[in-house]
Order: sequence, then structure tokens, then C-alpha cells
Amino acid sequence: MTCQRTRDILPDLLDERSVSGAASEARAHLAGCVGCQRELAGLTETATALDTMPLPQPSPRLRQNFYAMVEAEKQADAINPLASARPQGPMRPAGWRWFFVPFAACALLAVGFFTGRQATPVQVADDTATRTELKKLQEQVNKMGRLVGYSLLQQQQGPANDRLRGVLASAQAEKPSDKVLDDLISALAFDPNANIRLRALEALSSHADRALVRAGVLAALPREQNPLVQLELIDFVAAARDRAAAPALERLAQSEGADRSVRDAASLALARF
Amino acid sequence: MLAVRGGELDALGELFERHHGPLFGFLVKLTGHREAAEDVAQTVFQRMLKYRHTYRDEGSFAAWMYHLARRCAADHFRKSNAAPHPTDPSDLQAHADDAPHAAHQATVGDDHALLRTALARLDHGDREVLLLARFQELSFAEISGILECSVGAAKVRAHRALRELRAIYLRLQHGHPNVAGSE
Repeated sequence: MTCQRTRDILPDLLDERSVSGAASEARAHLAGCVGCQRELAGLTETATALDTMPLPQPSPRLRQNFYAMVEAEKQADAINPLASARPQGPMRPAGWRWFFVPFAACALLAVGFFTGRQATPVQVADDTATRTELKKLQEQVNKMGRLVGYSLLQQQQGPANDRLRGVLASAQAEKPSDKVLDDLISALAFDPNANIRLRALEALSSHADRALVRAGVLAALPREQNPLVQLELIDFVAAARDRAAAPALERLAQSEGADRSVRDAASLALARF
Repeated sequence: MLAVRGGELDALGELFERHHGPLFGFLVKLTGHREAAEDVAQTVFQRMLKYRHTYRDEGSFAAWMYHLARRCAADHFRKSNAAPHPTDPSDLQAHADDAPHAAHQATVGDDHALLRTALARLDHGDREVLLLARFQELSFAEISGILECSVGAAKVRAHRALRELRAIYLRLQHGHPNVAGSE
């Protein structure tokens, strides 16, 4: 075996997972070649140094944020359990099912149709009235949900779970009033919990075309100290192309106290303007 | 993770306790920055939670986690719009200036500081494949899945990256003034 071929195989000798027949030939070559021995020793030294490089420990913030995030997700699931009931993994039916499923569906439909005809009388006239009533009920339920959301949002001193529930309820409104937007902006600016501030910003982001929302987000930007929320705020003003945000972004880009990623994001947003 | 996918969110706590240390270590080496590594690690667990329904019982959990970590790190680099540089206070002490001749200022005996600098100067793709390859919990088949390439290609890239790291390290050790790696 030549030196070149041996050196191609050297990394395999460093790795316990790599087992090849050529490795034994390379070892035989190594026994009589000082140059290749030196090359192997060098690579071994670097790999060992890399594996044993001392690393800092993560700060307690990582664990705290993780468990806060899990709690927030659990609360969100409790409010909207349907959101978590998604299909688990992709459906991959076997080939024969492609033929079987349509026939089975047709058979079930036919059985259902005939059973239904025999069991219940036809009530075409009642259907329209029932639908109208159901629609009214649905509207009332939606309205109640939004009202609960507004009141919870205003209780800024309440438990974090209630405040989060309030933000989520308000976020469901398609055309929220100025009052609701005000409450969301207050949550963004003043809520002590970063997860709630993030949810509030997420809810506001679909209304970035409204001047009230842009002004509120801009006012919250200098107050924010959490880098994650700061980055999301910067993304918001950059996406909204809000030139009024330029001075605040400049201050952030030059702030030595801000996280480096925040400073970079602010500079990038300024460059986009 | 199957339990988490089924709705038992508390089970993710066990996975966090078991894996966050090695994941953080991988990210510190990849980003060269402790705070960035912490932020990216947090984003990884956030995405695990968010995309738990997409988890498939194919391959190991670690492979899935590092797949997410790689994506999150890429997003981080895209946001910061800059190649990572070591800015740990310890690094700053060792390299008071990153200008030419900075290697002279490093303590000659501090091999780890030199290696950190060499790692930061390695091409991002090379650094990524090398760190994944040195992480013994992942097989090369899993690494190739994460990198979306063949097993052979993953091995060749990992080996080439190790050689390149050694070359940069030696140049730094000998005080070469213009060490730039392959970036």
C-alpha cells in the first residue's frame, strides 16, 4: 500500500465506527513508515483535543426558559385542545388499500343513507331554521370568548396563565377594535412574562397595516430587554417598513448593552430601509 | 419523544435534561459564542415542541434533534449575517486583537484557545460536519441523513475537515501572520 492510499484511510483508523478491510493493510504500512505514523499522530492529537475541549455550562436561564415554554404550551393546549390533536406521522397506506378504501367508503355511504332514511323523517323545512339558529349561537359563543379575553387582558396583575389565555382569546378576533389592540399593545409593553409579550406581538403582527399597532410596537421597542422579544420586534418593524423606527434601531445597533444578535438584527433592518 | 407527540408535554423535560448539555456543547463549538449557543439551544427545544407532530419514529431522537439544531443554527447565522467569531471573555483575553499577528498574542501553551480559534476559522460547513462526526452518539448514516448527502460523502467531508482544522491549528501555533482558513 502506498503512502497516499494509507493517508486516505488514516481518518478511518481514528474512528471506532469505521471498520474497513483496508484499515488492516494501512496498519501494516504504518508499521514501517515514519511519515505516515507522524501524520496519524497529528490527526489523533487534533481529534482528541477537539473531543476534550473544555466547554462552558449553559446558564440557568436556559432551563428556566425551557420549563416556562412547556408550561405556556400546556396552557395553550388546554385552551385549544383541537390544535394538539393533529395526525401523528404521515399516513402511508399499503397499495391494496388504494383499491379497497373507495369501495369501503361507498358501501358505508350507502348504508348510512338507507339507515338514515328509515330512521328519521325528512325535515327539509326545519333545516334552514336550525342552521340560522346554530349560526346565531356560534356568534354568541365567539363574542363571549372575546369578551372573556378582553377582561383577562385587562387584569395585568392576574396569574400568567390567565393573561396568556387573554392574549390568545384576543388574537382570535379577525377585526379587533382599537380597544383590543390597545390591550394587546399594553401586554406587549408591560407584561413581565416574555412568552406573553411574544404572543401579544404575534397577535399584533397580522394587523401591522394599522398605524395604532405600528406606533405601539415602536413604543415597546426601547423598553424591551429580552433579546428574543427584541429580535421579534425588530423583525416586525423591518417587515412593516416603518421608517419612524429608524432612530430606535440606530440606538439599538449601537447599544453596547444589547445582545450581539440584537445589534446585528437592528443594523440589518436599518440597511433594509 | 413519542410520548411528547402524543400530548405528554412533561416528557420533553426528561429529554431536555438528558440532551441539553451535549447539544449546548455542540452549539458552542459551532457558533463560537456561548450566548448564541444558548439562544439557539432554546430555539431547538421550542421547535421540538412546535413541530412535535412531525416527529417520526424513524432513526434516533438525537439525529432528529441535531437536524433541528443545524437548521436553527443556520437561521441564527442568517440573522446575524456574519460568520461566527469567538467572543467569549476568555477568548478575548487570549486574543486581545483579531488583527494579523493576533496568534502571537495567544499563550503558546494554551492549546485549547488555539484550537477554538482554529475551529472558528474553519469553513462553516466543514465545522458542522466535523463536530457532528466527533459526536459519538450519531452514526455516519444518521449524519449523512442530517446533512442530506451520502454516507461516503459525509465521511470524506469529515476527514477533510479534520485535516483542514489541523492545518489551521498548526499555522496558528507557528505564529503564521495570515491565517484565514478556507473562509
